[in-house]
Amino acid sequence: MANLLWLQGGACSGNTMSFLNAEEPSACDLVTDFGINVLWHPSLGVELGDNVKKILLDCISGKIALDIFVFEGTVVTAPNGTGEWNRFAGRAMQDWVRELSKAATYVVAVGDCATWGGIPATAPNPSESRGMQFLKREKGGFLGDGFKSKSGLPVVNIPGCPAHPDWITQIVVAIATGRGADIAVDEFHRPKTFFQSFTQTGCTRNMHFAYKVSATEFGQRKGCLFYDLGCRGPMTHSPCNRILWNRQSSKTRAGMPCLGCTEPEFPFFDLAPGTVFKTQTVMGVPKDLPLGVDKKGYIALTGAAKNAAPAWAEQDLFVV
Amino acid sequence: MQNDQENALRNRIAKMMADGLQTQTEPFPETDREFGQLLAELRDLPAEDLKARLVVSGFVDKPYGPDQMRCQECMYYLVHRKWCDLPELAVPVEPDWWCRLWRI
Ligand code: SF4
Ligand code: SF4
Ligand code: SF4
Repeated sequence: MANLLWLQGGACSGNTMSFLNAEEPSACDLVTDFGINVLWHPSLGVELGDNVKKILLDCISGKIALDIFVFEGTVVTAPNGTGEWNRFAGRAMQDWVRELSKAATYVVAVGDCATWGGIPATAPNPSESRGMQFLKREKGGFLGDGFKSKSGLPVVNIPGCPAHPDWITQIVVAIATGRGADIAVDEFHRPKTFFQSFTQTGCTRNMHFAYKVSATEFGQRKGCLFYDLGCRGPMTHSPCNRILWNRQSSKTRAGMPCLGCTEPEFPFFDLAPGTVFKTQTVMGVPKDLPLGVDKKGYIALTGAAKNAAPAWAEQDLFVV
Repeated sequence: MQNDQENALRNRIAKMMADGLQTQTEPFPETDREFGQLLAELRDLPAEDLKARLVVSGFVDKPYGPDQMRCQECMYYLVHRKWCDLPELAVPVEPDWWCRLWRI
């Protein structure tokens, strides 16, 4: 059995919604089949008021073994580092986060807000929001660079806006079944099993990417969304086209560009007008090229790809 | 049928350029913002005014600039149809032509 506590800071609850949509296993399966004991969760917890506070204090004192502490949302530190803008159970949420993180065997940050600050930390960031261990790409975050939970792992970051339910449940299950030591994380503390490949891996538009055929509008049944519509699939680490959403589809399959939500600097360009759903270019060449490709290589590749493009690449391919 | 019409239109555009049509090849839109402004300008033109669209987009019938940019490598060029697939233009082209909406 593993005790799990889930708290929310500066958040929209999107990751809770995503988690409650989990199917294999579902949130209920986690309890019945995998022995996860949800001590408290903002949507599932039955205790109120002082009873919640007591659970938290018992976790901190060690009276209750806190195996997994999940945090969703940013750590709000305004005003002036006090965190008073986000109070919970009688004190600043940031104080609970600091103490519970120290007490927990594993600390898991779920969603972009908890991992890198996400949308709340976008300039001008009035709530002085921070991620648990990062602020955008910058190390440190609220808990500091050197933080490690009792397990020896840093905060396990499961980014996404929201994170896919399977990314959350599989990490929780790994910990609950004693396989926490198998979790390998990348430089941004993301589990490698999910975040080593790109959104583009498994995208049905890959051939159009290769032959440089562009989709020019949302929902088009041909073409790649990189060239015009700002798809970040080639430089975003996520398994969205391997582990499908609702087990059916993904943004790019539906004709919607990937926004790069699993990367630390999301939302890109601080959401300045004209930067969303638009490929930014300099003299006609994309500003952000597929990871590891330079401008010269890109131009050479384009010439070759265009020359080799088969006729079918220009036709509508997808029927649904 | 579609091919005949497209060929006829391609020839017409070629002739306009061969006859010395002066188009606005400069300034090249350096940023996405400038590119967007040019597209907006094109959208405001009457759909049937082919000449105005060629002028605004800066059509030329040969590769352009030190990098010898041309339709052939442009994002919007459909190789088999010899067609510019940019919705604001949507005209038949030749691989060696160029316009300032070129994008790779
Ligand atoms: S649509 Fe996006 S993810 Fe798919 S092939 Fe194009 S760039 Fe890659
Ligand atoms: S497709 Fe891109 S934007 Fe969408 S969830 Fe995946 S990583 Fe995020
Ligand atoms: S946008 Fe211009 S350069 Fe590109 S294919 Fe069309 S006409 Fe040619």
